[in-house]
Amino acid sequence: MTGITENIWQAKTVAQRAAEALPESVWFALGYMVLGVVGVAAFIAVLGMGLIYAERKIAGHFQCRLGPMRVGWHGIFQTVADTLKLLLKEDVVPAQADKFLHILAPLFTLLGTILVLAVLPMSPIVHVSDVNIGVVYVGAVSGFGVLGILLGGWSSNNKWSLLGAMRAGAQIISYEISATLALLVVVLFSGTLRLSEIVESQAAGWWIWRAHGVGIVAFLLFFIASLAEINRTPFDIPEGESELTAGFHTEYSGMRFAFFFLAEFINMFIVAALTATLFLGGWMPFHIGDFAGFNAIMDMIPPGLWFTGKTAFLVFLIMWFRWTFPRLRVDQLMRLEWKVLLPIGFANLIAAAVVVLFNFYFFPVR
Amino acid sequence: MTTTVLTALFYVLAACSVLLALAVVTTRRILRAAVYLMGVLLMSAGFFLLLGAEFLAGVQILVYVGGIVVLLVFAVMLTRSVELLEDEPSIGRKLLGYVVAAGFLIMNVALLATTEFRVLREGTLPAGNTAALGRKLLDYGPQGYALPFEVLSILLLTAMIGGIVIARKTGPVATGKLEQPGQGGSDRFGAQTTTIQGS
Repeated sequence: MTGITENIWQAKTVAQRAAEALPESVWFALGYMVLGVVGVAAFIAVLGMGLIYAERKIAGHFQCRLGPMRVGWHGIFQTVADTLKLLLKEDVVPAQADKFLHILAPLFTLLGTILVLAVLPMSPIVHVSDVNIGVVYVGAVSGFGVLGILLGGWSSNNKWSLLGAMRAGAQIISYEISATLALLVVVLFSGTLRLSEIVESQAAGWWIWRAHGVGIVAFLLFFIASLAEINRTPFDIPEGESELTAGFHTEYSGMRFAFFFLAEFINMFIVAALTATLFLGGWMPFHIGDFAGFNAIMDMIPPGLWFTGKTAFLVFLIMWFRWTFPRLRVDQLMRLEWKVLLPIGFANLIAAAVVVLFNFYFFPVR
Repeated sequence: MTTTVLTALFYVLAACSVLLALAVVTTRRILRAAVYLMGVLLMSAGFFLLLGAEFLAGVQILVYVGGIVVLLVFAVMLTRSVELLEDEPSIGRKLLGYVVAAGFLIMNVALLATTEFRVLREGTLPAGNTAALGRKLLDYGPQGYALPFEVLSILLLTAMIGGIVIARKTGPVATGKLEQPGQGGSDRFGAQTTTIQGS
């Protein structure tokens, strides 16, 4: 724990400030809450556009194309134009659909995304709310995402939508188990559920290296299972366009389609950010043991940049996967989870528990 | 100031909870009922939060919203389509329902009015109740819950194995005796049912 990061840890989250302001005036507290909400909303809008642009550019270059080039310098305003088009488009609700649920479903999906974003420690000073049950909270609110997809697919009254939603539901609730099992390994080692404390526990080294081998397994498990949870290629059968038109969002257009689309891209960021937070030290700089000079240089890079760098790398990895791996079939997907990932996850968790319980540490962990 | 806000929040949550609960039983579209039910469960999570039990609130959402409601929606999706409404019950059943509901309400009100609730202990909340809960669950002393915990685990395991056996398309290859004739329905959704039960 070096000097520079030590005093930054004293920074407060927006939620803390709101709680402290509450005894004085409700309006101050409300002001802080509005600040947090507006901040997250603005962040989502900007990040969504950036990620879509990145995805199109990266996809282009992987296929020896240039990607968007026309609007602005190297097509940098392409997503802005596309967003405007999406927002101005007519919003069609099928005549036979359950309108109430059809309208509600994309909001649920987006809600699940926004709620996770609010607890991510992006840097010691950029943190909306530091929930003391962080890991449980993340697992809990991601349930809204599934619910939105299921309701959206069902209420569209279209067999493609229904099948896509069923596949998505089965896939998400299956892979959730593996992701949670991998998550628990980190909880075991760090001894806390609070995300900021998990980050701070990695000051001496990231859990992926420091957790005695089980860390790497847990990292791989979590990354694979999370990819399946957010329906990214190679696990994107819920919207496999060659079989299901567009899956659960076949009947969505305009603004509501934009919500699903945005949630999908932000989820990609969330998976990358969570993986970075849990296994790659979040905003913690990279340190090597006693190399004081090297560590001091690493400390000079601000924590926010560390977080952004790690997350951006993982996001790039996710986009890379899309052009590397072929899509899995439904039965292969289920076999992978229930017969491969799940047993590995359980064995890994037991191994981690044994290491922590009997103090089989090769080097001090706590 | 804080107490006023918390009280106001409690009443807002309570009102929403009651309204949503009414919506659950009055709507005729079964999937909407599931969504309203989710609202009720979320409000209960809100109550836990107001009481300072964050872990319980998290588990409430994790288990009920992420598990039970999703399972409900999944089951409904397998059986019904959008146009189908729930059948209007016959007058006899309606009457019976009203009588039972009124009886239950009277019993509850009478109980709540006559019972004097004791505050067990004037104490402060522990800083982190997650660890305390975990210790309590696995404590096999007189105050612990290790036995109920293990019994519940066995119950859930049994249910899961039962689900897998029921959802199996064919029996074991060697005997082939488990396959029942006339169960064509299970073939269609066999794969999916397995995943539901398993999770």
